Amino acid sequence: MFRNITIGQYVPGDSVVHKLDPRIKIIITFIFIIAIFFINKLSGYLFAVFYLWLIIAISKIPFSYILKGLRPVIVILLLTVSLNIFFTPGGTILYTVGPLRITTGGLRLALFMGLRLIFLIIGTSLLTLTTSPISLTDGIEHILKPFSSIGVPAHELAMMMTIALRFIPTLIEEAEKIMKAQMARGADFESGNIVKRAKGLVPLLVPLFISAFRRADELAIAMESRCYKGGQNRTRMKQLKTQPRDYAALAVTLIIVMLIVWNRSWTW
Amino acid sequence: MEHIIITQHLSFEYNTEEQTRQLVLKDINLRFEKGQFIGIIGHNGSGKSTLAKQFNALLLPTDGKVYVKGMDTKDTSHLWDIRQTAGLVFQNPDNQIVAAIVEEDVAFGPENLGIPPDEIRERVEYALKAVGMWEYKDYPPHMLSGGQKQRVAIAGIIAMKPECIILDEPTAMLDPIGRKEVISTIKKLNKEEGITVILITHFMEEVVEADRVIVMDDGKVVLDGTPKEVFKEVGLLKNIGLSVPQVTELAYQLKNEGFDIPSDILTVKEMVDFICR
Repeated sequence: MFRNITIGQYVPGDSVVHKLDPRIKIIITFIFIIAIFFINKLSGYLFAVFYLWLIIAISKIPFSYILKGLRPVIVILLLTVSLNIFFTPGGTILYTVGPLRITTGGLRLALFMGLRLIFLIIGTSLLTLTTSPISLTDGIEHILKPFSSIGVPAHELAMMMTIALRFIPTLIEEAEKIMKAQMARGADFESGNIVKRAKGLVPLLVPLFISAFRRADELAIAMESRCYKGGQNRTRMKQLKTQPRDYAALAVTLIIVMLIVWNRSWTW
Repeated sequence: MEHIIITQHLSFEYNTEEQTRQLVLKDINLRFEKGQFIGIIGHNGSGKSTLAKQFNALLLPTDGKVYVKGMDTKDTSHLWDIRQTAGLVFQNPDNQIVAAIVEEDVAFGPENLGIPPDEIRERVEYALKAVGMWEYKDYPPHMLSGGQKQRVAIAGIIAMKPECIILDEPTAMLDPIGRKEVISTIKKLNKEEGITVILITHFMEEVVEADRVIVMDDGKVVLDGTPKEVFKEVGLLKNIGLSVPQVTELAYQLKNEGFDIPSDILTVKEMVDFICR
């Protein structure tokens, strides 16, 4: 039941995209997301398509993985598109159904919103597809570090993510063990309707939570006895170093952004 | 002889609101010599784990003093020095590994101490090689066996360059193979790296080769001496609910049956040597 849960959606590989400095990748993703909102013509999306295609081609991520990332947001996507179609005033009226009107302005906005969402999701899932959760955590910690002086808990966030990553497999293993133990005593996790099945999970969740709290307690003592005293005066073994390829990736991204901005002044 | 840990009239009770306040440790006076391999045995509830936590200031004495390398554990200004000098390894390896990759976990201690990155790398390599886990440095901990995880936990302590390691029942949750791995690792660290080892356990076989064995019962030290001196007292040990190594038990039974056999036989080899003499 739990075996096929993967943490994040990382697809291991050794392409240039995979090897990029996680900090640069996160920054690039942000730049790309902002750039998406600058696009005001359909032709502008050509650059975004080209950019994403370039990343997918270099990283050799199968396209089906990227489509899989879109599946959970289909409902939101459809909702956004239909709301925009029906409730945007302006433009010529094409069709009227009771109080609802479909206008050219609405269609245009719906199309842009839909495209924006799709590109946003593909862009961010490319980040998580090509970056392991561990280096992602490292990257986030390093990016947030300058802001820790204004109260951003950079180190704490990273430590929480690290511990979560470390304990997810342990807890999954434990859940399986508890499940087997409860099944041996006649617990039924598989039959009945949703309510019944949810109730059936209680004998699994209660022991799992109790053990998780006990683990947390022991871990805290172990960390303390290993001289953990929070983020101050702490050093890191792994230092992130930017390489020429990181600057190249940043440069390509900035060129795409400039093209997108330039595209705003086009007439078509 | 230099002493690494000294306890003076150490008494301890957990802060409970109940009326029946019970001392977990009662007037313990011990001196641990540097470089020795010391075994502490006792059954559940004898106070041995509580004693372990006194050695690196996780718990502080209610009465009396604990000195680690001359530093009083009650003096908070030395807290981190004490914890670096006397490293503590716990029973459950799963609950003391912090990072999601072996080498990063070993680096956790030195990172906390604020050591420069290059030196951390050296220490991690040294520690993982010392416990024989270097080839697993890129593994996630959940892919390792119990014995391997416990060795990683030991490496995490070694990387802080402690002078003394205290192991609180490190083999209790392991299978026989894992237990053997961990015990031989500990012995190697004691012999080759000269680290003082205090091994808390309830497996008598693990302390047969120790320099010194301390037996605890009901918060007190009952026996203290070399393994031969301690395991001779088969009757006393059985009285407080402890067993002795199987061969010693055999010798004891034989003696009771009227055979002329020394009662301080601890290993199969000694038994064989005695019978075939």
